Amino acid sequence: MKNKFYFLIKQSLKKKIDTKWFKVANVILAILLIGILNIDRIVSFFGGDFEEKTTIYVKDSLDLFPSFVASFTESASLLKADNYELKQITEEETLKNDLTAESDYIILELLPDSKEYLKGHIISFEQPNTITEELIRSTLTTLKTNLAIKELALTPEEITALTSSVTLDTTLTNPDAKTTEEKQTASLGLIMILIIPCFFLITLLVQMIGAEINDEKSTRSMEIIISNVSPKIHFLSKIIASNIFVIFQSFLVLGYLVIAMLIRSIINHTSLALASASATNSLTEIIQIFTNQNILNIFLKGLPIILILFLLSFILYAVVSGVLASMTTSIEDFQQLQAPLMIILVLGYYLALMASAFEGSIFIKITAYIPMLSFLIAPTLYMLGQLSLIELLITTSITGAFTWLAFKYGLRIYKVGILNYSSSKLWKKIFKSLREK
Amino acid sequence: MIEVKHVTKYYDNFLAVDDLSFTVNDGEIFGLLGVNGAGKTTTFRMIIGLLEKNKGTILLDGQPIDYNQTDKIGFLTEERSLLTKLTVKEQIIYYATLKGMKKNQILAKLDYWLKRFGMEETKNQKIKELSKGNQQKIQFITAIINEPKLLILDEPFTGLDPLNVDLFMKIIREFKEKGSSIIFSSHRMEHVELFCEKLVILVKGKSVLQGKLTDIKKDYQKKNIHIVGNISKEELKQIPGVLNVLETAQEIIVNIKDDSYIKDVFKIVRQKESITKFLVEDPTLNEIFLSKVGEAYEK
Repeated sequence: MKNKFYFLIKQSLKKKIDTKWFKVANVILAILLIGILNIDRIVSFFGGDFEEKTTIYVKDSLDLFPSFVASFTESASLLKADNYELKQITEEETLKNDLTAESDYIILELLPDSKEYLKGHIISFEQPNTITEELIRSTLTTLKTNLAIKELALTPEEITALTSSVTLDTTLTNPDAKTTEEKQTASLGLIMILIIPCFFLITLLVQMIGAEINDEKSTRSMEIIISNVSPKIHFLSKIIASNIFVIFQSFLVLGYLVIAMLIRSIINHTSLALASASATNSLTEIIQIFTNQNILNIFLKGLPIILILFLLSFILYAVVSGVLASMTTSIEDFQQLQAPLMIILVLGYYLALMASAFEGSIFIKITAYIPMLSFLIAPTLYMLGQLSLIELLITTSITGAFTWLAFKYGLRIYKVGILNYSSSKLWKKIFKSLREK
Repeated sequence: MIEVKHVTKYYDNFLAVDDLSFTVNDGEIFGLLGVNGAGKTTTFRMIIGLLEKNKGTILLDGQPIDYNQTDKIGFLTEERSLLTKLTVKEQIIYYATLKGMKKNQILAKLDYWLKRFGMEETKNQKIKELSKGNQQKIQFITAIINEPKLLILDEPFTGLDPLNVDLFMKIIREFKEKGSSIIFSSHRMEHVELFCEKLVILVKGKSVLQGKLTDIKKDYQKKNIHIVGNISKEELKQIPGVLNVLETAQEIIVNIKDDSYIKDVFKIVRQKESITKFLVEDPTLNEIFLSKVGEAYEK
């Protein structure tokens, strides 16, 4: 029987992996992931209007142009906006008359003002883009502040004291205390690194198990299979095979990400670490947060329990989707029945996202103990410091117990469901099967 | 040897099989007959353990059938039960492995049976690409590849042409010679009549007729007389003991109460000058079946 069990797992995996469409889907997935992580390079490679420099002609009657250039350049470099050229002019009339839709310049007049020290006047054919406008606005604000300080005849020390930000010291009595920002970023990191991929993997798992059971049912091959192996062995083989499949698929995706980073590092002529750090702003932020020793320690302490919780939840979803698939008589019926499962997943995902905004929410904390939701919410609350390690262990134990019960009672439904081809009196049959051992 | 003893099965309050008992010895072909919904498939499903029985016992070689015994059973379902996306080779390896066979054993047997059925070229074809008849052959191979001790065939000739029906029958007889117990169901009585030694007729889950085919025919007293010649239907109908007269394109078939009336019919027929055929035959299984099932429904 053991050999038959392993054979069923192998066969189930072969059916999923050794297919043309699995290979095609993975090639597409690899290309897409590599493309997404190098999207900035791809966009730059093909070029476009964004590469053209915008010239700002500044008509300055206040002798502020050198200060304007210095301040504008500093602000632009902070925003990594290097496609500006600044030129001083004395007469704007010709340029103003030449403005058309194709013009790649704007005119800025710096005007004195008795009340506000300084005013700006932009002349362009169309509304300048937001970044350009904001850069000009912030530069003029800086110049205005400088003019005011100069007029008040303040000493350099007074200017520094006035313009520097207020020092705000914080004393935290909790030795393990983290800042709110750190906590929120850590939970965001967890959502991005673990929860979002798991969300997609569970969706894949549910569809895989449902399609396979329905295929065996609709072709009546289930009768031959079940006449040779027990429903329990068959059910277990489906659960294990689908879980191995999603783990295998996630490793493949991880591999594609590494390849994408390597390509990025080759293109940028930088190290792999730098390439990964520069891949996206949010990824950089996450990596930085997890290099914080305090956050990393908390994460590593909880990681074994979090992984067990994830595994148990994957098994639980496989059990539930297997039972649902056994009750249905076609893949269309199963697709309808899987909708509530998807809603539960979405609910868990949103509650995990809301956890940092509603700190200390009792409702969210309660949902962290509910199986099928717990794997999404509990790790997030743990990283936010709203759930202790012991509480994380309790929620994992609850999920474990629930998974065992779901398998025990689900198997009773499964035994009846896989050989049932009629949807009449379905619920009666299910409740009856639950009572039978 | 398979023994089915007082087996009863209910679906909620519906009685599907009612106190059914029969025995199929080694090297015996047994017919399980009945109209649609008579309980044949339910009986098969109980034998192979797909359904729990409410009462009774089923023993294979004196042991209750469980997953330790299923490797000795071959089962051909009434409907196609093949994974259509697999190739012929993959499909047969799949089911044969579930019967506890090793891959090298399977491959050797696979080649033998494909050759026997003239299907060598389909080995790597997908099941869905095969014709209905060829799918049935593959299904049959999956049922016999493990050389079963008990072979259950639920409507095995569905979708087959007469040549292949003949080939199936030949192979089934070979398994009988090897000592397999074979349980067989079919709506085609001429098939059952050709090779079933024993049978049971089920009506609404209950056995209405059971025993050896020869004894059943003997006990069923009505006979048929086939006549070819210049004689009218009306004349024959007047003879005492004649139940029915049927005129076909080639002959007249006279159905009589029992063989004591043969001489009365012969007395009349011999007076005619152009009689070329006078043949007394046992009734066909089809007639017995219709008669017994009809009687049971009338009750």
